[in-house]
Amino acid sequence: MSQKLENLSALVDGENGLSRSTSSLLLDALKNDTELQLKWKRYHLIRDGLRQELPVKINFDIANKIAQAIEAEPAILAPKITWRNLPLMTNIIPFARQGGQMAIAASVAVAMIIGVQHLNQPDVSQPFNAAPPIPGIQGGLSPVSFDQTRSIPNFAAIEQKRRINAYMMDHKQQLRFKTTQSVREKSTLLDQKIKNEEAQSNIVENTPQ
Amino acid sequence: MLKIHLNRIFSRVLLTLLVCIFVPSQISAQEKSSSETFNKSHSTDSAQSWLVKMSAAVKSLNYTISFILLKPGFDSQPYLWRHGVNADGLEMEQLNLLNGPGQEVVRIGDKVSYFETNVPPYSLQSSVIDGPFPSELFQLPEKLILGYEFILVGRSRIAGRAAQQIRIISKDKSRYGLNVWLDQQTGLLLKMNMFGQEAQLLEQIQVTSLQVTKDPDPFFAKIEPEMLPEVVSFGPSAPLNSPWEIGYIPKGMTIVKRELRRLVGSGEVVEYIMLSDGLADVSVYLQKRESHKQQENLVGTVQSNTLLTIEHGELNITVIGKLPANTANAIAKSIQRVN
Repeated sequence: MSQKLENLSALVDGENGLSRSTSSLLLDALKNDTELQLKWKRYHLIRDGLRQELPVKINFDIANKIAQAIEAEPAILAPKITWRNLPLMTNIIPFARQGGQMAIAASVAVAMIIGVQHLNQPDVSQPFNAAPPIPGIQGGLSPVSFDQTRSIPNFAAIEQKRRINAYMMDHKQQLRFKTTQSVREKSTLLDQKIKNEEAQSNIVENTPQ
Repeated sequence: MLKIHLNRIFSRVLLTLLVCIFVPSQISAQEKSSSETFNKSHSTDSAQSWLVKMSAAVKSLNYTISFILLKPGFDSQPYLWRHGVNADGLEMEQLNLLNGPGQEVVRIGDKVSYFETNVPPYSLQSSVIDGPFPSELFQLPEKLILGYEFILVGRSRIAGRAAQQIRIISKDKSRYGLNVWLDQQTGLLLKMNMFGQEAQLLEQIQVTSLQVTKDPDPFFAKIEPEMLPEVVSFGPSAPLNSPWEIGYIPKGMTIVKRELRRLVGSGEVVEYIMLSDGLADVSVYLQKRESHKQQENLVGTVQSNTLLTIEHGELNITVIGKLPANTANAIAKSIQRVN
């Protein structure tokens, strides 16, 4: 039995050690043995837990519950089954609503949310010829359009778009220029790491709630 | 009826049992992985040893990789990525965007040349290409240790090859996470998913073909290094005495750049601060608020970048980067005047 369980665990983990015949034997055993099926289920759950892949809300045995709900329905004269009649679904819907409220609350901190569209061309430069601060590269990085769905006065909208474009372009250019540091960094990485660790201890204290 | 009742009792018992089983084991796994990352004594199969293997492979192998960059809601972008090391040990690398008018980047040693439409070609002194993948993760994965946790997940099959999955999660949950699949054989990247705080997919790189060869691609032999554009160099930026201080910096991030400069697009003067943890780079712009210019607070995403602009005291603060909006907001709100 314990050998069987060990094989099962190896199968769930996708380990290569199992021979083909062992794993097919195991799968056959699994089909007939409810005990093993439960183990199989548990091993998967444990694996998900270890990998931090568990969903926010876990429904154990969803199939069984639905089967029960269907069984509980009077067979012929029953009114049409709606999703709400299922005991499981009445649990889920209020939860979903709560989630919505939480999301709204979270976004209150920021004044407004803007829908964003973007032309599907990633790197098409448009003529954007403000005087470049660095000689040698003119404009260079692609501007990004930042459209919004909310209508605000036209002038303000254009002004805002221009501002956002300027920031996005600058951010992209900064990322590119940042790579020039990596040559120097290679040599100074070690002592920088020590400094980082020191800085870290200060920062942790300042973390806001 | 009895059956239902029994079932219910049984599922309770099962639940309690499960909690007993996997909660302690999860804790021990976390302790193990963090002690591993800090002691740097990695066993042969730890997540960190895989990242070290990837880093070495990216720099030392001759390979040709085709990959697609995907961002939900946007068109896919196919790339060709080649790397070679010649007989003298010189690294050569090429990244080519295959759709549209094209964009080509060539790196020979520490010189990176950018060829783009509408812009005269130029070169930068650098050992990495500014491309769609997080280059520091490839070059110096150890830089991520302070801010991120590495979890070895398991094996699967990606692009027709056996792959090892590694999950990279920020320790204080303030940044996006990564799922990385590495080739079992060579350690090269096969797939990368960037996910948000609710595990939603934000950006994806999927390799479609991978060839590792004994010799560098013949393409590199055709490049004449003396024909590449001039290197643009920057003077050292003047030291800055700023009255502003950032109170909250996410765990693992440091200030990598700070200067007064003009915005590329508009020419406005801003104080610029770049924060980085080796994976996410965040730009913070501080501007004196002008009373006649009313600016609205706004937050949005431009592709996978978050852009947040708020009024805060005497300042207009803009934060851009691949990080959740609430982290951007926390950074912006924490900026204070110091005396």
